[in-house]
This record gives sequence, structure tokens and C-alpha cells, in this order.
Amino acid sequence: MLILLAALHVVSSIPTLGSLAKEVGGDRVEVESLGKGYQDPHFIEPKPNLMLVLNRADLLLHVGLELEIGWLPPLVLGSRNPKIQAGEPGNLDCSRAIPVLDVPTTKVDRSMGDIHPQGNPHYWLPPGNAKIIAREIAQRLAQIDPDGRAAYEKNLAAFNERVDAKAKEWAPRVAKLKGVKIATYHKSWSYVSQWLGLEEIGYVEPKPGIPPDPQHLARLIGVMKQDGARLLLVEDFYNKGVASLVAEKAGAKLLTLPTDVGATPQIKDWFSLVETVLVALSSNV
Amino acid sequence: MKFALLLVALAFPAAAQQADGGVPEDLQKELEKAIQSDQSAAQKQGQPGAPAPPAAVAQSAGATPQTLPRGSQSLNPDISAIVDADLGYVRRAPQLLSGDDPDLHADGTRHALGAAVQEVELAFSAIVDPYFKGEVYLTIPNLDGIEVEEAFATTTSLPWNLQVKAGSFRGAFGRQNGQHLHVQDFTRRPLINAAFLGADGMRGPGVQVSWLSPLPFFLTLSAEAFSLRSDPADQTQALPQPVASFGADASARPTVAAEAKVFFPFGDAVSFYGGLNFASGKSPGLLLGPASTVGAGREAQLYGADVYVKWKPPNVAQGYGSLAFQAEAILRHLGAGDALQDEWDGGAYAQVVAQLARRWFIGLRGDVIGVPSSSVLGRTERVGTSLTFQASEFARVRGYLEAEHAGSAPSAFLPQALPEWAPAAYLQLEISIGAHGAHPF
Repeated sequence: MLILLAALHVVSSIPTLGSLAKEVGGDRVEVESLGKGYQDPHFIEPKPNLMLVLNRADLLLHVGLELEIGWLPPLVLGSRNPKIQAGEPGNLDCSRAIPVLDVPTTKVDRSMGDIHPQGNPHYWLPPGNAKIIAREIAQRLAQIDPDGRAAYEKNLAAFNERVDAKAKEWAPRVAKLKGVKIATYHKSWSYVSQWLGLEEIGYVEPKPGIPPDPQHLARLIGVMKQDGARLLLVEDFYNKGVASLVAEKAGAKLLTLPTDVGATPQIKDWFSLVETVLVALSSNV
Repeated sequence: MKFALLLVALAFPAAAQQADGGVPEDLQKELEKAIQSDQSAAQKQGQPGAPAPPAAVAQSAGATPQTLPRGSQSLNPDISAIVDADLGYVRRAPQLLSGDDPDLHADGTRHALGAAVQEVELAFSAIVDPYFKGEVYLTIPNLDGIEVEEAFATTTSLPWNLQVKAGSFRGAFGRQNGQHLHVQDFTRRPLINAAFLGADGMRGPGVQVSWLSPLPFFLTLSAEAFSLRSDPADQTQALPQPVASFGADASARPTVAAEAKVFFPFGDAVSFYGGLNFASGKSPGLLLGPASTVGAGREAQLYGADVYVKWKPPNVAQGYGSLAFQAEAILRHLGAGDALQDEWDGGAYAQVVAQLARRWFIGLRGDVIGVPSSSVLGRTERVGTSLTFQASEFARVRGYLEAEHAGSAPSAFLPQALPEWAPAAYLQLEISIGAHGAHPF
């Protein structure tokens, strides 16, 4: 009970970051997420009760790379919590050490759709990135709670070992996916594709956040047929209507995949999240 | 080409709706057509079955991870500009025109038809230092001079759940008063805005202290004081102006206001946001001639209540849809003074906005002011409907129809608007460029 009372209150923008904080924080932290695992992290509504959650936070974890730009800033300001304001130790942008993909190399504007000028923020699934996030969280927890440093380091080492062990277990499935051609709904699978060696040949959205027109879909179907794309990936929070039509016309399998802890009640941590995605992908090629 | 597509989408909302939603028959047909035309084009080019890759096909996955250059790091503030342009028709001059309503310059009883730029807004915002956030919003309503809509600092680091806002800002009074034009669901603001809060809303130089209660549910209390300045409503003009509630004797009598707001979520989908409001100041009354006023310096108090109830599923897996109900009511007490008796007046509006499809929203609003009426406020009713096509997060096109009914003037000071019934129609285009920040719930 004493430990619970003293626990650091960690609030994450998406549940996966909170889950990783629990891995390295153990009993010294209690975690809560603003968004749910079945919500689109771009478009969470900034409901005022979330300010209350943030008001009690010792540490805020967010994805960064402007993923939460449409809803998190007014909540942080309205929380009236000095500890988690930008620039404070209690505010951790978890992307800070991530090798970011899809960073624009030319000048960007919104004719390109709802793009992320700092790069692709959907980075938390691959094991390598999960280890980076966990390390960043452990370091930040130790900064806020120096008495727990040894515990955080121990938990981090244990987490890394578990990730490595799982990676070995997953290796045959990963190998099976190398070179598999896929299409996706939103351009949010770049990190997974890089990890698994998937080859992305097209997207249902002509530009990020822009709904497709029939001409774009026809071209995509043509490319999918020509390149032999066998899978069309869509996140579970998107509407499947158009994607299922494209998959059907292209002779591909539509895979509805979770991207966050809590997407279903069975997905309780990062390991079960990644395993769910990996099993779904490898079972369908 | 894009403009043509937009026009098509506007003309055939149902088709566009389906293209965004489920597995529609129309889309199937259009897709079949597009596939056929694509294939025949490819055959003509001698590339059977090899359509050109779509622009969106990029091969970024599998690329070597880059060390993040982090774009252009800059200490400049976020800057944005928002333009609201309209084509419109009004049967006669509207009874109460808010500052950022489109002004077609209808002259009394004559109709007006034409174009307006109802507002150009320039916004700048940034974290100032570890203690403040700064925001500046300049507005040019109806191309008529630049105004400071808001320019204020908000504290970020005060203890005891306190926050202070200082500068010139929109007061915390109900829901619509704090919102800028581009957050509104209709082309014109509700009638209670100009009738009770001022044509530009209750805004001006002042200071606000707000407190987030530590209770298990969301409750904020705020108190604010403004130096509002308003002139008497000039009834000698062609367009009579609403009588301001506050702003007389500004140097000696600040306008003060207080608000309590609560929020309750019901599951993931349903939200309830409500508030109670109070404001007090001195009314500048009416100007009847060069040196003739009535009602100047009367004490005025506003009592308000607002409610916002929204249903929106946590994701769009089952389709695009949401429903929001919003209503506000204001009751005003005007004390005796300058030839007028102690009296009460009031008004309210209620609106429903439904999301029909990914990009389509429809709204219905009913307004009434002058319930009860007073010697300075007659009765006006209005009903309005809007259909909004949201091309992207940064552009929307809105059709707005309204019919306004002006009741008979309750006092000799107020002219009778004729004809009593006045329809109006607007086509509004709104664009936002630059780094526009998130909006509160």
C-alpha cells in the first residue's frame, strides 16, 4: 500500500507507451492512458476530463513527431500541472532517440495531405524501437525518481532480455514475411515494413488523411495486381468499406490489424500487440 | 480539376458520402468505370496491365533509417491565417449583426446580394518561456480595419491548480463567446451574441483567474475583470445597433464575470459539457440624437447557462457519424436609470449538428431574443440551417440558409424592421493556412 501511495503517476498519450512504462517502472509507477487502443491517435477528442488525468501526472509520455498536435497541447495547458509542461522533466517526447522514417526531403505543404513534417510517427511496434522507447522512459523515470534508478535499470534489462527472447521466437514468422508485397490504408506501417522486410507498393489514401477517388483506387488495384500484392493492411480504427472493396478487386486479403495496446481486451501489453500483428501477417502469406 | 471535383462533390453529396463510408454501389460502379478507362489507356500506351504507379506509391519502407534532421528547428511562433469568404443574399438588413457575421451592407428594408469577406484572421502562438504561453489573434472583419481579437498570455506553472490569463481576450461566458468564427458550426453567430455580449462578443483588456478543482470530475471556476468600452447604441443610423450590456464608465467600473464549468463523459461516445455564467457591468444605453440618451449608466447583470452534449463513437470502424446538441440561454437584468425602469430581458438558442459522412455535416439552429422583451430589446426569432462540406482539416465550404422574424418593436426607441420576415442565404468558403493549433473540446 505504501508503494502504491508513493507510485509515480505516468500518463501516456497512447496505451502502448504506458505499457512500456509499466515494463520498466514496475511497482514504482502506475500508468494511465489518455487515448484508448482502439482510437485513431491522430483524432482523439480533447475532452476536458483528460485535463484532470494530466493534472495528477508526474510524467507525460507522448509519441511526438506531431502525431498528437491536434488534441494534446490544449489538454497539457489546461491541466495546470507545471510538472508536465513542454521542456520539463515530466514531459517526454518518446520519439527523441528514434531513427525516424519518411522525413520529407523536399519542402512540404498541405497539397501533400495531412503530412507529418518531422517524419512518420507510427514507430512503436518494431522490437528495436520498443527497446529505445523503454530506455528513454527508464532514463526519465530515474531522473524524476532517483531512488528508483536501480529498479528501473534492472527492469529495463529484463525487458530487453524478454524482447530478445521473443525476437528469437518470432524469427521464423519474420523470415516468412521478407519481400512480401503489401498495400496499406494509411502510410503508417513504414517501421513495421522496414523491420519485417515487407514491400509497400501503394496506399488506399492518395495522400495522408485524404479520402481516395475512384481513379486513384483503380490505379492502386492495377499496381496491386501487377506487383502481386497479397495483403492490404488497415488499422482497426479506420472504416473498412473502401479498403475491402480494393482488396476484393485486387484479389488481395484485407487484414484488419491492431496498432495499440488495448485495441482488444486480449492485447494487454506490447508483446501481445506485436505478436497479434505478426501472427496475423505471417498466417496470411 | 480539383475544383471541378469539389463542385461535383458539392452537387452530389450522397455519392461523396458513400465514397467515404461503407461499400457503396455507386462507388463500385465508378470504380469499375475507372478500372476500365485505366486499362484502355494503358493498352493505348502499349503497356497492357501495367498502369502507371499512383503518385502516392512510394518506396520508403525498407529505406535506411535516417538520423532525424527534425525539419527546420525554429523559435518563431506558429503562424496561421484564416479566411472566411461568402456569397450571400439578404432580404433586408439583419436585426443584429455580430462583428464577424458576413456584412452584405443591406440598407434598411432593401435587399442585398453580393460577396463579402466576413473575416480574415491572423494567429500567432508560442510558448513564451517556462512560465507563459502567448497567443495573438488579429482580425479584419468584413475588410473593415484590423482589430485585436485576442492578445494574451496564459500561465503554465502556477501552483494550486490555478491559471491566469492576462491581456485582451474573449471572456469565459458560455460556449460561443470564447470561440472564434472558424469553430462555429453556422455562418452567423447566435443572436444572443450581439444582443447581450456585444457585437464582437464579450472581449477586451482584462485579467482572468481560473481554478481546476481537484474533485473526481472536471470542474473549473473562473473569475475575470475587463475594462470594456462601448458607446451608446446609435439609433440615428440607418442600421440601429443593439444596446450593449456593458462598457459604460469603463475607467471607473470594470465589467466582471464568473463561470463554473463541468464535464462528464458517459462511456467513450457521449460527453456532457455545461456551464453557469454571471457578468456584471454598466450599460451605455441608447443615443437618440446629438445629445440625447436614454438608459445610460444602468447597472446590468447577465445570468447564463450553456450545455453541449455530443455523441461521437471512439473510432470510425462502424462508419462516420456524430451528433452534437448545443444550447445557451441568457437572462439580463437592467437596473433603473436615465429615464428607464428596472427590467429584465433574455434570449436563447439551441442547435443540433449531425455528421452525415466523413466530410459532410448538417446543422439546424433556432434563436430567439426578447423573451422577455424590454424597452431596449425587441423580440426576434430566427431559424437557420447549414450544410458543411469539409474538404480537409483546413478547408470547408458551407451553405447556410436562415429566416429571421422581427417582432413589433416594444418601445418608441426601437425602430420596426420591415418586412418582418427576412430570408437570407450564404455560401461560405473557409480556408486555413499555416500551423493552426488544436481547438478545445
